[in-house]
Amino acid sequence: MFVAPIDRIRAGLSVLPALFLCFGTVGAVGTGGAADLPPLSHRLTLIEDPAPAPPLRLEDIDGVEHDLADLKGRLVLVNFWATWCPPCRREMPSMERLYQQFKERGLTVLAVAVGEDMDTVFAFTGQLDPAPTFPLLLDTDSRAAQDWGVKGLPTSFVIDPEGRVILRAVGGTEFDDAAAVEQLVPYLPKP
Amino acid sequence: MRFTPQTGPNGTHSCRLSFRCAAAAAAVVAVLGGSPISAEPVRSDPETGAATYETQAHGVGLSLTQLLPDQVRAFYVARGFDLADADVFADACVYMTVLRNDTAPGELDFRLSEWSIHHDEEVRPLPPLDDWLAQWAARGVPDSARLAFRWAQFPSEQSYAPGEWNQGMLAMGLPPGSRFDLIARWTIADQTYEGRLDDVRCTD
Repeated sequence: MFVAPIDRIRAGLSVLPALFLCFGTVGAVGTGGAADLPPLSHRLTLIEDPAPAPPLRLEDIDGVEHDLADLKGRLVLVNFWATWCPPCRREMPSMERLYQQFKERGLTVLAVAVGEDMDTVFAFTGQLDPAPTFPLLLDTDSRAAQDWGVKGLPTSFVIDPEGRVILRAVGGTEFDDAAAVEQLVPYLPKP
Repeated sequence: MRFTPQTGPNGTHSCRLSFRCAAAAAAVVAVLGGSPISAEPVRSDPETGAATYETQAHGVGLSLTQLLPDQVRAFYVARGFDLADADVFADACVYMTVLRNDTAPGELDFRLSEWSIHHDEEVRPLPPLDDWLAQWAARGVPDSARLAFRWAQFPSEQSYAPGEWNQGMLAMGLPPGSRFDLIARWTIADQTYEGRLDDVRCTD
């Protein structure tokens, strides 16, 4: 279970007003209202010539280091996102549902917050339903995003158990949609 | 609405859209017998009045929704900009921009450096991201704020397979109150396509 130190909670609360302001500005207003939001995609893009994934070794918001190299043998969804990014916020609950559905079968989700600090990311997590239980990594200088060739947020990659990038998703995606799940399941590690 | 599908000598396909004659555009689409080009009317946010301009061209969707100067200011001040620095960007006609490969016949590539604005009888490029970043560095905007700025912008270049898209801020570099046409360009398998939004208004 995730337990936050009280000083982190206080820090998170201190940035909440600014955060809500940003969400209001870029989210609801930027798209003209909920009914007009661009639809999330339901499919991932197949990478025709899978290549080894770039290195990814970052700390999460609890200070725990995660290294993609340690996850060989698992199917890994790497998601680059930011708290102020409306499609990132919209797709994240679907990542949690996907994670809950398949983590016992070998799925790992690593959500990499680009250019943001621990307090900002932590404050954000309490606004999601369901809240993410997978690691939220901090790419504070956005170097990892650049190393992975990310040009816009959100961008996600699926790494197969051999460590190769096999699928990608540019733009907000409903990861637990049946069409996306159908693409992912064949790559889950064999029992 | 004006709607003029074109195939120029260089093989560029384009469509031209404004929103005065939607019925005429629909008729042309019908005559073309299932052309992938269609038009949607502009809409306005009931609370802010911010307008959205949309077009569909060759299986690609493009939309602009103005972010009002106060909204832009608030966003960047919250990310570490001084008010004076945020004002510079807020007064440059900023739009939440969405480009999406809906049903194009393949993966598209675009560079914003190949898009253009028609304003006051002149054709001009969009202000490049690097110019903004250089300006923020010269004005002493903190690194973290510049990083937030960079990632909040619509990508300078990108590739979208069918179903892929991005949403980000795009400044036209025009004063509030301007009216302009935006011409977006992308390529699919070395073929260039255009999508055009005519008579976009920048509310001050």
